[in-house]
Amino acid sequence: MIKEISKHTGTFFLLLLIQVLILNHIEFSGFINGYLYVLFILTLPFETPKWLLLFASFAMGISVDIFCQTMGIHAFAALCMGFFRPYLLEVIAPREGYDIGVKPDVNSFGFYWFLKYATILVLAHHIVLFYTETFTFHQFFFTFLRVILSTVFTLILIVLSQLLILKR
Amino acid sequence: MQFGVKENSKLQITNTPNIFLEMRNLLRLIYNYHFPILFLAFCGFCFFLIFQNNNFQRTKYIQLSHSTSGNFYGGIDNFKVYLSLKETNKTLSQENAELRNKLENFRKVIKDKRDSLIDTTYKQEYHYQSAKVINNTVSKQFNYITLNKGANQGVKADMAVITKDGIVGIVEGVSENYATVLPVLNRNFKVSAKLKKSNFQGNLSWDGISPEACLLHEIPLNVSIQKGDTVITTGYSSIFPEGIMIGTIKEFNMKDGSYYYIKLTLSCDLRKLSYVMVVSDLKKGELVKLQNKMKHD
Repeated sequence: MIKEISKHTGTFFLLLLIQVLILNHIEFSGFINGYLYVLFILTLPFETPKWLLLFASFAMGISVDIFCQTMGIHAFAALCMGFFRPYLLEVIAPREGYDIGVKPDVNSFGFYWFLKYATILVLAHHIVLFYTETFTFHQFFFTFLRVILSTVFTLILIVLSQLLILKR
Repeated sequence: MQFGVKENSKLQITNTPNIFLEMRNLLRLIYNYHFPILFLAFCGFCFFLIFQNNNFQRTKYIQLSHSTSGNFYGGIDNFKVYLSLKETNKTLSQENAELRNKLENFRKVIKDKRDSLIDTTYKQEYHYQSAKVINNTVSKQFNYITLNKGANQGVKADMAVITKDGIVGIVEGVSENYATVLPVLNRNFKVSAKLKKSNFQGNLSWDGISPEACLLHEIPLNVSIQKGDTVITTGYSSIFPEGIMIGTIKEFNMKDGSYYYIKLTLSCDLRKLSYVMVVSDLKKGELVKLQNKMKHD
């Protein structure tokens, strides 16, 4: 249990560092941003208590906010993602349910399951994030284009990171 | 018999701890729904942070609240305006007559001068636009006035708001069709003012006590003043035109050090506002540009 907690705390800080030091400075053609930190919320174990899930999402979001000077926006998006996660996991559960001790990653459930799971949650996160950031539906489709492109970019990053872990 | 006793004791058990039972139900309810409740609490906190720390989102939020409250008060005022129609007509016709008189005077002056020189000072410097007060408070510490003209009618922030009696305030926030005004009766209001007689300049503010009176600071003790002296605007701030009436001196004393403590009676009664004029300075852009240039140099 303690080993598990310390491992996830390590992931937390590693992803935060990657996000703040590298990804925040990458902007393809001005509006494609990657937000790899959501991987932390994606890979929390199934048996994480729901309140802890919300708390962890909020902590992750607010930490990124502190470095982006966008107090509350990432926290809100991450929070929504943490909120949707249990419901989504219920919907896309395999027929025999989830075993205790496994984590929602490529290793345990295969590539397509993980891609489906990640796409929906990352899309939800990015929609909330970008619309809170622009705070208007005025240029709805332009913002939506940004959402889609950034989602694709984030997903590529997530899949790459998963492949790295798989190889090892 | 035995059976009856049993039933009785059972009844007691279920009846007495009624409050605890309900308490337990409530706790169970909270426990069952702790996930959405916690989520909403966190969301509230996030939005608090967003509006507290992000200027852009806050401005949007304030604009939204301006236009909603503006619409609401506009609806109410549409009805209320009929009640004061008689008095409004009277003041308007009085003002009309006064302006007509002034116009005649000016016409004479211009006629006299036109032949001899082309005078640029007669070029219009201020533009006056009439607006209706649709909401007004005077009883709070930070009062605000809402007007029925907004960005679409050319009203911008930092324009002066006056009536024929004297100053009212400064436009602070603007939505599409409404504007909020920071009136003299707000503790954040500050403007420079001067004595009409001696031209000495001081600062005007409000102490939050009475809607009839405000304070004039920083008039040095060597200036001779009297009760009833007139105080007017200076025109330094490029918000108010020079010489707009503010009020008259009600009382003064020499309490602290080298400055007078002066109380003014406001010439314009803010409790009875119906129509006001929004003043835009046509040369303000030029003035600000010049001042900024001086600063940079």
